[in-house]
Amino acid sequence: MFTNYFKTAFRSLWKNRLFSGINIIGLTIGISCCLLIGLYIKHELSYDDFQEKGSRTVRVIMEYSFGENVTKGNFTSTKVAPAFKKNFPEVESAIRLYDARNVVKYNDRLFNENGFVYADSNFFNMFTFPLLSGDPRTALQGPDKIVLTRSSAKKYFGDENPIGKTLAVGSNARPFVVTGITADCPSNSQIKYNMLASFSSLGPAQEETYWNANYTTYLLLKNEASIASLQSKIPAFMKKEMGETSKTYILFHLEPMKSIHLYSPYSGFEPNSSITYIWIIIAAALLMLAIACFTYINLGTASSMERAREVGIRKVLGAAKNQLFYQYIGESFLLCAISLVLSILVLLITLPYFNQLADKQLSIISLLEPVPLALTLFVLGSVSFLAGSYPALVLAGFNPVKVLKGSFKNTRSGLFTRKSLIVFQFVISVFLIVCTFVIQNQLHYIQHSKLGYNREHTLIVPMDQKILDNIDAIKTGFKTNPGVLNISRAMNPPTKIVGGYNMRNATMPEDVQINVKANPVDEEFIKTTGLQLIAGTDFSRQDILDLGKEVQEENIYHYVINETAARQLGLTPQQAVGQKMFLGNHRPGLIKGVVKDFNFESLHTPIGGLVLFPEPRGATMLIKLSGQNMQQTIASLENKWKELIPHRPFDYSFLDEVYNKMYSSEIRLGKVMSLFSGIAILLACMGLFGLSAYAAQQRVKEIGIRKVLGASVINIIATLSKEFVILSGIAALIAFPAGWWIMHKWLEDFSYRTTISAWTFILAGALAVIITIITVSLRAVKAALANPVKSLRTE
Amino acid sequence: MINITNLEKVYRTDEVETIALNKLSIEIKKGEFVAVMGPSGCGKSTLLNILGLLDDPDAGSFVFNGTEIAKYNERQRAELRKHNIGFVFQSFNLIDELTVFENVELPLIYTGVKASERKQKVDEVLEKVQIMHRRNHYPQQLSGGQQQRVAVARAVVNNPKLILADEPTGNLDSSNGNEVMELLTNLNEQGTTIIMVTHSEHDARYSHRIIRMLDGQTVTENILI
Ligand SMILES: Nc1ncnc2c1ncn2[C@@H]1O[C@H](COP(=O)(O)OP(=O)(O)OP(=O)(O)O)[C@@H](O)[C@H]1O
Ligand SMILES: [Mg+2]
Repeated sequence: MFTNYFKTAFRSLWKNRLFSGINIIGLTIGISCCLLIGLYIKHELSYDDFQEKGSRTVRVIMEYSFGENVTKGNFTSTKVAPAFKKNFPEVESAIRLYDARNVVKYNDRLFNENGFVYADSNFFNMFTFPLLSGDPRTALQGPDKIVLTRSSAKKYFGDENPIGKTLAVGSNARPFVVTGITADCPSNSQIKYNMLASFSSLGPAQEETYWNANYTTYLLLKNEASIASLQSKIPAFMKKEMGETSKTYILFHLEPMKSIHLYSPYSGFEPNSSITYIWIIIAAALLMLAIACFTYINLGTASSMERAREVGIRKVLGAAKNQLFYQYIGESFLLCAISLVLSILVLLITLPYFNQLADKQLSIISLLEPVPLALTLFVLGSVSFLAGSYPALVLAGFNPVKVLKGSFKNTRSGLFTRKSLIVFQFVISVFLIVCTFVIQNQLHYIQHSKLGYNREHTLIVPMDQKILDNIDAIKTGFKTNPGVLNISRAMNPPTKIVGGYNMRNATMPEDVQINVKANPVDEEFIKTTGLQLIAGTDFSRQDILDLGKEVQEENIYHYVINETAARQLGLTPQQAVGQKMFLGNHRPGLIKGVVKDFNFESLHTPIGGLVLFPEPRGATMLIKLSGQNMQQTIASLENKWKELIPHRPFDYSFLDEVYNKMYSSEIRLGKVMSLFSGIAILLACMGLFGLSAYAAQQRVKEIGIRKVLGASVINIIATLSKEFVILSGIAALIAFPAGWWIMHKWLEDFSYRTTISAWTFILAGALAVIITIITVSLRAVKAALANPVKSLRTE
Repeated sequence: MINITNLEKVYRTDEVETIALNKLSIEIKKGEFVAVMGPSGCGKSTLLNILGLLDDPDAGSFVFNGTEIAKYNERQRAELRKHNIGFVFQSFNLIDELTVFENVELPLIYTGVKASERKQKVDEVLEKVQIMHRRNHYPQQLSGGQQQRVAVARAVVNNPKLILADEPTGNLDSSNGNEVMELLTNLNEQGTTIIMVTHSEHDARYSHRIIRMLDGQTVTENILI
C-alpha cells in the first residue's frame, strides 16, 4: 500500500513538473528562511548559556540625579563592587570590568587594541572562560599582568610561547607580563575581550568612589532567589551612603546576566539584540513559509480537477476517504522532504554570507542537536500537513459519480479560498515593500540630513596623553601638508558626545543642577567641525592658557554652549553671552558664545543641553581635509605620524563612516527587510505564475473562441490578467494601513525622522500591480499566441 | 441477489428537477447476465450507479443479498462495494500514472490482500484477458480494446459477485467490442452476475434478459434464453 502511494506520488509530481518545480522552489525558499532564522535565533537565545554561574550573576545599572533630570546607564563607579561585597551577605563575589582601548607593542608588532579589558582578579572564578594555560586564581592578581585570547596571542607572538613574556602597553609602554591564555570569547557571550589586564593596574582602582561611572560591575549572588530581596535593600543603603539630606542621589538596579542580551536597554561590550527583534524575524520566517504553503495549496486545489478522475476511480475500486486523504498528504510530505533536503544545501551555500551580514558565526552542525532537529522535523511534518491537507480534503471529498461522468468541472470549488490566499500573499508582499521603502527613506534621511556640523572629509584618530602633551608641535607638523585645513583635539567627536556633567547659572542654588553633556575641546573645534556660532565669539588660544592655575576654582573658564543649554539656563542666545555660569561646582566661568543646536547624539534622542569648554584634555583628534587628493594627503600624514608619534599606529577612520556606524542596526534592519520583501515577492510571483499558467490552460478553448471572434493578443492578455490585477489591488489596499501603522511606530523611536509620504504607497501599489501583470503575462502571452484551430479541435 | 422496489432518484439543479428514476422495480437473480437499454437520458447510468452503491436512492427499497441497504451510509457502502462489486466503464477509467499491473492490483490493495498473493492474482487475471505481455505498460501505450480488457481484469480481480458495465464497448470498434463481450460472457459462465448498460442490440444479445427503460421506468423485459 505504502509503496503504491509513494509511486503514484512520485509519478504525479513528475507528471506535473512545472507545478512541482514551483512548489519545490517555493517550499525550499520558505524552509531555508526558517532554518536560517532558526539557527540565528538559537544563537541569540543561547547568549551566556555557557556561563556556569550565569543564573546567579547580575549586572549593576546605575541611576543618578543632581536634582533636575535623571540619568541611567550600565556604567558604574569603582566603589560598587567592594561596597556591595562588604555590606550584603547575599553577594558571594563582585567584579569590576573596564572596557578600554590601548596601543600594545611586542618587538616590532604595534596595534591599537579594542577589547582591552581591565578585570578584577576573581574574573575566572565568576565567569566560565577556561584558561588554556596559566593559573586562574593568580593570573590577574597584582598589577601589570595580562591574559590573552588565543588569537591575540597568535597576533603578537606567532608560534612562540607567550607565557612570561612582556607586552608594552599604552603611550608610555608600560610592561605587562602575560600570565595566561584563554580561548577566544564565544560569539554568544555578552562579555567580549581580546586581552584581560589586571584591574589593579588601573590608577583609579585605588580610589573607591561612587562617582566617575566608567566601569561595568557584575555581582555573583550566593542564591539566585535573593536578587529581589537584595534589590529592595539598595535604596535605603544608598541613602545612608550618600547622606540623608543630599539632593543628589544614586541608585543601583540589578539585571540578571542571562536576560541582558535580549531584554536590557543598555548594551555592554557589544550591541544588544532585543526580544522584539527576535519576534519580528520569527514572524517574517513564518510568513515566508506561509506564502510558500499557500502557493502549494493554491496549485494543489487548482489542479485537483485533473486528479479528480484518479480519485473517482480509486473510490470506485474501494478506497476509503481517509485512505485517499493520507495518500495526498503523503504526496505533500514527499514534496516537503525534497524541499528540506534542498534547503539544507541552500543553507550550506548561503550561511557564510549570512554570517557576514548578521556578523555571527552560525554553523549548520547545530541543526543536528536534539531540539533543532526535532523542530526541523516538526516544521517538515506540519508544513506537509497544513499545506497538504486542504487539497487532500478537496480531492478525497470528490463524488466519484460526478467525477467519472467525464463532464466534471471544478472551476467553482475552492475558488474563493484560492483568491483569498493570493490576496493574503500579496498583502504580505506589499506590506514588506512599504516597510522597506520607509526604512530606506529613513536611512537616506539619516545619511543625508544636516546635523548642524560638517562630517565630510574629516579624519578621526584616537589619541593619548603623550600626544596631548605634545599637541602643538604635532598640529604644526601635520599642518605643513596643504591638504589639511584644521586640526582639533577634543574628548569626543561631534558624532557622539557622551561626557555627563551638570551646570547651573549664578543665581541657582548650589544643590540644584541641570544635567548636560559637555566636551573639552580646543580653539579649533568649532572651525574643524563647522559648527555655526549664532551669538558671541569662538574660543581663542588664550582661553586655554587661562586655565593654568593649580587650584581649579581660581581659573576663569570660557564656555560655548548650544541653544538648548541657553534655554535651560533661562536665556536667549544673545542674553547668554557674557553671563556667568558653573560647569560642576568647580568651574566658574563666562559664556563666550552660543552655537546652533546640532545632533551630538543619535537621531533617536532629542538634542539636549551641551557645553563646550577649553580644558586641555582629549582622546580624539579631528583632522579636516580639503577633500582634494585625499589619498595622497592621508599617505603623507601617515609618514608624518610615524615620525612624530612613533609609539602608536596611525589608526584613522572617517567621521562620516563613524556616524553611519551608529546606525548599523538600522542599516542591518534595512538589509534584512529588503531581503525578506524580495523573497516574499518572489514566492508570491511563483504562486501567481503557477495559478495563471493553470488558468490559461483551463481557458484554452475560451481563448481559441475569442481569437476566432477577433480578439487581439493584447485583449487576451488583458482578459487573463484582469482578475489577478484586481486581486493584487485589493491586497495593496489591505496592506497599506498595516504598513503605515507599523512604520509609524518604528519611526516614533527617532526624534528626527522622515515623514511617510503618499508616494511610498503609490510606488508600492504600482510595483505590486506591475509585477502581477508581468508574471501573469509570461503565460498569457503564450496562450494568446497559440493557434486557435488546434485548441478548438480537441474535444 | 438484487431486489429493488419503487426506487426513486431525483436530480435537483437550480431551475429544474429531473426525475431520473421513477418508482422503478427490478429483480436480478444470482448468475444472471442482464442488459439494460433505452434512449439517452432515460436513467440507465443512474440505475447502475445506485446498483453499484456509488450513489444512494431518494426513496424505495434496495435489497442486496437479502439485506436492505437503501439507507446505508457512505462508509458501509464502500465496504460492501469493494468486496462484492466490480465496474467497467465506457471510458475505461484507468489511472494514467500507474502501469497495467498496478492498475489491476489496486482493488486488491484496497481490500488488504498480501503482496505475494496480489501478484499471483493479478498475473492470473491478466493472463485471462491476454494482456500479460503488456503488464508494465502505461494505459496511454495501449489500444482502446486493450485498455478495456485491463479495466475488465481490474473489475474481476477481486472475484466480485456482481459486475456492472456501463457501455463497455461504447468506445470500441466491433472486433475489440466482441472480444470484451466474450470476456464478460466467460465470466458470467463461471458464475458472476453481470448487469450491462448498452446501446447496441448486438451486444445485448450476449445477455439472458434485456430490460428496456424509458423516462426512469422499465417498459418491457425480453427474456432471451
Ligand atoms: N448529476 C446530475 N445532475 C442533474 N441531472 C442529472 C445528473 N445526472 C443525470 N442527470 C439527469 O438524469 C437523467 C438520467 O441520466 P442518466 O445519466 O442516468 O441517463 P442515461 O440513461 O445513462 O443516458 P446515456 O445513455 O446518455 O448515458 C438525465 O435526464 C440527466 O440529465
Ligand atoms: Mg449513461
